[in-house]
Amino acid sequence: MEEGEETRKFEPKILAFTCNWSSYSSADQAGISRTFYPPNVQIIRVMCAGRVDPLFVVKAFLNGADGVIIAGCHPNYCRYSGGNRQAEIRVKFLKMLMEEIGVDPARLRIEWISAMEGGRFAQVVQEMVGELKKMGPLLLRK
Amino acid sequence: MIRLEKVSSVTVIGGGVAGIQAALELANLGMLVYLVEENPSIGGRIIELNCSSCRLEVPMDCSICPVIPKIVECYHHPNIKILTNAEIMGISGSAGNFQINVLKKPRFINEDKCTACGACTEKCPVEIFDAFNMVKGRKKAIHFPLPQAFPQVPVIDRENCLHFRSGTCEKCSEVCPTTAINFNDEDMIIGVKSEAIILATGLSLFDPSGIREYGYKRYKNVITILDLEQMTSIHGPTGGKIVRISDKKEPKSIAFIQCVGSRSRRTNNNFCSGVCCMYTAKDAALVKILKPETEVYVFYIDLRVFGKGYQELFNKVRNSLGVKYIRGRPGGIWEDPKTRDLIISFENTLTQRVEKLRVDMVVLSPALLPHPNNRKLAEFLGLELDEHGFFKSPNPVSQPFDTTIKGVFTCGYCRGPRGISESATQASAAAGRVTETITLAKMGRN
Amino acid sequence: MSEANLNQEPRIGIFLCDCGTNISSIIDVPQVIEASKGISGVKFVERDSSLCSSAGTKKIRETIERSGVDRVVFAGCSPKNYGSLFESVCQKAGINRYLVAFANIREQCAWAHQDRPKEATIKAINTVQMAAARLQKSEPLQELEIEVHPSTLIIGGGISGMTAALCLANQGFSVLLVEREPDIGGMLNKLYKLYLTNQEVSEILNPVIQSVRNHKNIRILTSASVREVEGYFGDFEVTISVNGGTEKFRAGTIILATGAGTFEPFGMYGYGKHEGVVTQLELEQILKQGKLKHLEKVVMIQCVGAREEKGLTYCSRICCMVAIKNATLIKKLYPDCEVYIIYRDLQTYGKENEEYQSKARELGIRFIEYTPERRPEVFPNGNGKVGVRVYHALLGETLTINSDLVVLSTPLIPNADGKEIAKILKVPLGPDGFFKEAYMEMRSTAFGVNGIYVCGTAQGPKSIDESITQAYAAAALAAIPMQQKKVKIPAMTAEVNEELCIGCQLCLDLCPVHAITFAEGKSMVIEAICRGCGTCAAACPSKAIAVKGFKDEQILAEVEAALK
Repeated sequence: MEEGEETRKFEPKILAFTCNWSSYSSADQAGISRTFYPPNVQIIRVMCAGRVDPLFVVKAFLNGADGVIIAGCHPNYCRYSGGNRQAEIRVKFLKMLMEEIGVDPARLRIEWISAMEGGRFAQVVQEMVGELKKMGPLLLRK
Repeated sequence: MIRLEKVSSVTVIGGGVAGIQAALELANLGMLVYLVEENPSIGGRIIELNCSSCRLEVPMDCSICPVIPKIVECYHHPNIKILTNAEIMGISGSAGNFQINVLKKPRFINEDKCTACGACTEKCPVEIFDAFNMVKGRKKAIHFPLPQAFPQVPVIDRENCLHFRSGTCEKCSEVCPTTAINFNDEDMIIGVKSEAIILATGLSLFDPSGIREYGYKRYKNVITILDLEQMTSIHGPTGGKIVRISDKKEPKSIAFIQCVGSRSRRTNNNFCSGVCCMYTAKDAALVKILKPETEVYVFYIDLRVFGKGYQELFNKVRNSLGVKYIRGRPGGIWEDPKTRDLIISFENTLTQRVEKLRVDMVVLSPALLPHPNNRKLAEFLGLELDEHGFFKSPNPVSQPFDTTIKGVFTCGYCRGPRGISESATQASAAAGRVTETITLAKMGRN
Repeated sequence: MSEANLNQEPRIGIFLCDCGTNISSIIDVPQVIEASKGISGVKFVERDSSLCSSAGTKKIRETIERSGVDRVVFAGCSPKNYGSLFESVCQKAGINRYLVAFANIREQCAWAHQDRPKEATIKAINTVQMAAARLQKSEPLQELEIEVHPSTLIIGGGISGMTAALCLANQGFSVLLVEREPDIGGMLNKLYKLYLTNQEVSEILNPVIQSVRNHKNIRILTSASVREVEGYFGDFEVTISVNGGTEKFRAGTIILATGAGTFEPFGMYGYGKHEGVVTQLELEQILKQGKLKHLEKVVMIQCVGAREEKGLTYCSRICCMVAIKNATLIKKLYPDCEVYIIYRDLQTYGKENEEYQSKARELGIRFIEYTPERRPEVFPNGNGKVGVRVYHALLGETLTINSDLVVLSTPLIPNADGKEIAKILKVPLGPDGFFKEAYMEMRSTAFGVNGIYVCGTAQGPKSIDESITQAYAAAALAAIPMQQKKVKIPAMTAEVNEELCIGCQLCLDLCPVHAITFAEGKSMVIEAICRGCGTCAAACPSKAIAVKGFKDEQILAEVEAALK
């Protein structure tokens, strides 16, 4: 198979950790308003972006995810006063680690998306799918 | 501890932010609540707004995010009975024993059966003007109310629906997969008994076409700030882009004009609506964030930045984002017939110079008025209204949410201009006051 | 009844709602059903068109009771719509509500991918698998029920504290009102007359003080302060120092009503140097004592020390009205006196404030606008008096006023005790130094921590009627759990496995509600305070903290299933 063909056939798998109070609802909003986005993303609900252990992200990549999104409330709006900031710090650390081991840090994305920003959620997924298609599969699966 | 042996009931008139909050607090305090709303869904004005404040990263009144879960909670709360599409026909009795006659108009769609699939809206052959959606401008006679309304159940515009006009069409009901549509639904009169009433009728918008020199409804590119809010919603007809109505192009310059029809003896609305300075600042900021090259001007009289975080947000809007604030109420707006641009004539009162400004688009912040229904309710209850239509309190300092009648309380805009946060706080306060009053009355009896 | 037995294999039931044509017109439902039947542990897959209807919920209950499953997946619309309804129905049918999972195949699948039905179907199958995989690792959880003591501690005996006290006492709750000063009444004790009504403060204040003093449910401690607060929502143990000793009080809820202080503008506009420069509060004292001699010219300067670039950046909301009130009082005393109010922006918001301003203008009070770039200047004018030179921004001219009295309108500032109280109660202060409410929009009197509420100027500058409103609101919020007597805490709280805990204490600092304590080298989570955010669990280097209902195993099971 030619490389071009493979890239075209490649459908990246994205895992999105969404916060119950904001981004999870934004995904709902995208659906309600029929703002389509690619089905490449699977959504996992947590109570706060701060719950997302770096371990989850690593396991996601090891299990075959090509990209991971962590989506939480806008700064100052975290219902638990700062879980989203903790998530931001962890993502910074993870990206450093990813660079060290040769994984493109752009495969991990942290976004602030409030409950009503359905269009934003769709946009983020759309963008990531596009970028990952160019990057190609991660292939870290054991 | 006083126990309320028999469950007391309270009627909340108005299902906006204040009404919903009051209903929930009362319900959680053990009361039975009747929430009466004239529209087919609850949520009030707030669900017409666009969510954008948290993008600006300064804490300030945001619109929808906190309210939607409360709307859902209201629907599921065992102590709250919501009567939508409902009109108050009469109120008699007094504190401790009010009788309220509610006319519940039929929706013709069974909320229990409807699954919001939208097949009816697709099949409906009648298109009507959608004032809400001024860019696309059309919707069907059967249509969903706002996207943020809950439950998502369609409503029928009886005036334009063919079935109601000539009995010649039942396409929607034919295509409904759950037979949720029933044209034979009738008006229902419901008699509600309550020990207390909370009024939460909210606000209405001043129609700026009354200020002829601003050209609203004559010049296409003069819109109100509510129109802008809907346009910037990412679920709206332009996907969140701000465009001129005349040519659908993105404006390179926008001027906001505050206090349109308010603080003015000419319109008799000589009061300040309290919230416009900040929501104009918010929307001006949004314009800049969406498209930083846009020239943004705000015409103001006084900057009302009295709330928590307001001055800080305003500083950001003016200093960091570069929105230009001009102190002066424009004398008039003219339209360039070729380009449909607008030329604003004004005196910059801080430089004492009379100037002209050409912009692509003008956004008017109209006065926010009390709801016209207040007059009818005041009549039913024997309440006092002030000259503008706001409910009066016996003492605005020590009894901010009492009315001139015992057992009747107010919260939110219907008492006087206030924002979302204060309205919600007043709603909780009114709930506390009602509970206190009812408990004291019960003690009196015992 | 089906009880979950951790030793037994999970027995999963799946309810799939096709939501009329909403889902079934896009997703191949039979295919999803077939695939779901194949998931290990699944005992049935029941299809329905309207699970949320009364017929639907009846079906749910009957099917569960018949089938003997111990955990349930709901595949259909977003759990945000009817999630709690379905959990309640399951609970009634004998299923622990924490053994219910949701597969969002409508909003997050059918509707979002309407343009790609084939892929939507595959995703729907996958989403159901994820929910089932999560359930495999779930445990039944018991919600902690805490008793809420029907008593409230109110810190601060000003108008806010007293209003809240009366509202709660009238509902039958016991109230302890703790006041730092020797007398209750707060800031209002220092005021003379009120704006809007121009009535004397005592007309409003005295009846409230009398009611508070006479109420059988209210106990007042003056010259007292709160030293320590232990325990948690429903059962706070408060230590108060009073009369040279201490007293203990058991409270179910706490309301903060500690008020605010006033800014002393030393060094500004000659304050402290010249007798002829006073603050609005000092002017009120003079007016109250009837000691205001005849004046010819009075100048009031607004925003002194407020709305600055650095320091006090906020607008203090009430100063414009206070100035107009005092100007009105002076004009009524001495109608020929020239009174000027030099302002930046007049904060006479709303209806009544605007009217009050109009009346002031009709009395002849002159308003002069200045900009922060060209501030007024003062100059000594003999005999301790001070004159004012101001660039009138709207006239474009500099005016010189040989004033007899200059009155400075200064902002309310956070109470000096604020930091200490914040520490004792473990509640946050905002960047402006006032207490930071949970969120302004719908909960301006609550904190993130349960059981503690705030009202009045402690939360930020506000007028008396606004303080009274907040006081009632805080009282309503406090009354809710006390009225219910018992409150169920959602079971999704963090738990420390002491064997794994290495005592690094990282979790302690991270917890936003201070729910974690440290003793004998180990961390411990106070379940009643924990809000379940999970930040501690994500940070724990030895994986000693688990969040019930959101354990690592559950989330990782979803991750694995998502990527199969």
